Amino acid sequence: MIKFGKRNLRIPKWQRPVYVVAGGLTPFRKKFPEYKLEELCAIAFRQMMQENDLKMSLKDIKGLLNFAAYGEFADHFQDQLLCEAKVHDYLGLDPLPNIGVKTGGATGGSTILTAAMAIASGYADCALAMGWERMDEVDTKTGNFYISTAACKDFETRLARMYAAYYAPMARRFTEMYKVSEVTRAKIAVKNRLYAYYSPYAQQSGKHTIEEVLAGKIICDPLRVLECCAMSVGAASMLLCNEELAYKLSDKPCRLYIAGGTHTLRVADRRHMDIPLLPHEEPGMYDKLLREMTAQNGRWPGFESFLAARFAAYMTYGMAGIKNPLEDLDLVELHDAFTISDLQTYGDIGLRPYGKETDYIESGDAYFGGKCPSNLSGGLLGTMHAVGATGIFQGIECLWQIQNKYDKFHGDPKIWNEWADVGEYKGKPRQKPNDWKSLQVPNAKKALWISHAGVGSHVTAGLLEKAF
Amino acid sequence: MSEKIIKYIGTPLEIIQEKPEMVVKWPRTLMHMHTYGKLSKFFQELKKGKLFATYCSNQDCEEKRLWLPPRADCPDCNQPTSWIEVPNPVVGKIYTFTKVEYPGEGIELEYPYFQIDVDLGPQFATIFKGYLLYGKPHIGMKVVAGFRIYNPTNTILDIFWVPKK
Ligand SMILES: [Zn+2]
Repeated sequence: MIKFGKRNLRIPKWQRPVYVVAGGLTPFRKKFPEYKLEELCAIAFRQMMQENDLKMSLKDIKGLLNFAAYGEFADHFQDQLLCEAKVHDYLGLDPLPNIGVKTGGATGGSTILTAAMAIASGYADCALAMGWERMDEVDTKTGNFYISTAACKDFETRLARMYAAYYAPMARRFTEMYKVSEVTRAKIAVKNRLYAYYSPYAQQSGKHTIEEVLAGKIICDPLRVLECCAMSVGAASMLLCNEELAYKLSDKPCRLYIAGGTHTLRVADRRHMDIPLLPHEEPGMYDKLLREMTAQNGRWPGFESFLAARFAAYMTYGMAGIKNPLEDLDLVELHDAFTISDLQTYGDIGLRPYGKETDYIESGDAYFGGKCPSNLSGGLLGTMHAVGATGIFQGIECLWQIQNKYDKFHGDPKIWNEWADVGEYKGKPRQKPNDWKSLQVPNAKKALWISHAGVGSHVTAGLLEKAF
Repeated sequence: MSEKIIKYIGTPLEIIQEKPEMVVKWPRTLMHMHTYGKLSKFFQELKKGKLFATYCSNQDCEEKRLWLPPRADCPDCNQPTSWIEVPNPVVGKIYTFTKVEYPGEGIELEYPYFQIDVDLGPQFATIFKGYLLYGKPHIGMKVVAGFRIYNPTNTILDIFWVPKK
């Protein structure tokens, strides 16, 4: 059983406030032969520098930088070690220091955490957080094998060589324990892929129906094809700075809080423990649930929940003064690598109590126009999971929402046209739909995103707060 | 006197696409030498039809339960663990499972097959992942461990599970 020592639950405290002022993305594609990796990074970097209404020139902002954090999930996809040095040089940032960050699917979030710590500590006044992945050098089967080496190579990888097969047992257990209809999972796939339909960056958008999701081929049962994200190529870039530079650079800076949590690589090694409570949860509220779990031979967090996500949320809510996430947050971006990981997370971060996760979807709260919409970016299912870039992409989408720039970055026909005819859309361009609509959340002030690795091995919870 | 000319001794890369971007096949065949380290005993015993777990024998440590997969060091007190045989027949209950329909490259089992997570009871801290040799699983179903004593794979696939009669 994991027991916390007295100071393990200390809330992180920045030495000084940290801000985010700008973000940049490439489009995301399953195959992207048009560009080399560093060229994609340059595209995201340029958008960050030039399209975010910053009050200085690209050259002058480069002159402010002190540090860069780079996220890449897996060297073997690209067969290139120290890609950080290539990208850093390509962007013209030598000899500033950079650090490469690797925490699986949470790499993007951890990269931002690293850059934020540089600002908060005073190491840097201005820092770059950039992430990427290039997963198209190998076929999907090989890619799935590579990803499955992020299960335990001695005891798990050979038992599937496919990551969906490590989520599927969680999906089954969650379904049995909480009596969840597969329709709820299908709704998540439909929702997120629909939101991707409005994004010019999206890779796998679509107006799907619940029936279509449920009729899809089974990958690892109960998970079906539209419930799983795809291999992806692309980059994302975020600019962080201290308070002084935040207002010099931008009229719309956002304050950043971010913290992380970790749990075993093997789900099966997760020993039972007491549920750490979030600020709005009452002691004793899970007694009944735990009794029911025990009756079914279950445990917390078991196969149903993510301790790392709960821990990260606990820390970030503490840093940002969040009392009740559903009330205090205007939107969230969650790690929907699989429909089930999305669903599991609702309880971990307190959008619903454990055992009532499905209600977040069924109530309509999770939808655009709902109380706290999730994955308006299209998420991982609809838009991208170029792994090292993902947590940064999510943060940027949160930033643009708070800055009231959803339309600027998603509705501009110039952006749609620029990326219509690349990657797998070559020759069958993906044009701005005639029924495009804005997913701008009116007057958004606080947004949370969850960057998540493995079967919950690493999680960061990032939170942006309007500071203008 | 002639200078020695350096010859190309590789194999030219095959072109997938010449235009507009040049895309080539980039072969990658490698061999790793992997150690099972202090867990070697676990894999050696599987081939003899025995399942070994570890436990923390530090008297001051609260965690007394068994580890499977084994660990050579206790995560709570960070002291070396001890081995113990899980007596045959090893019986557990299916905690959860999935049918693997689309495994990744290099899969060594005929598919589809059922990957199962086996609960071996409260004396274990963990749940143990494996696969079902035959039959159709359900949560709570009792299963018995079997071992690949003949033609062992020298991997975790040397243990499998069958439905308990
Ligand atoms: Zn111990």
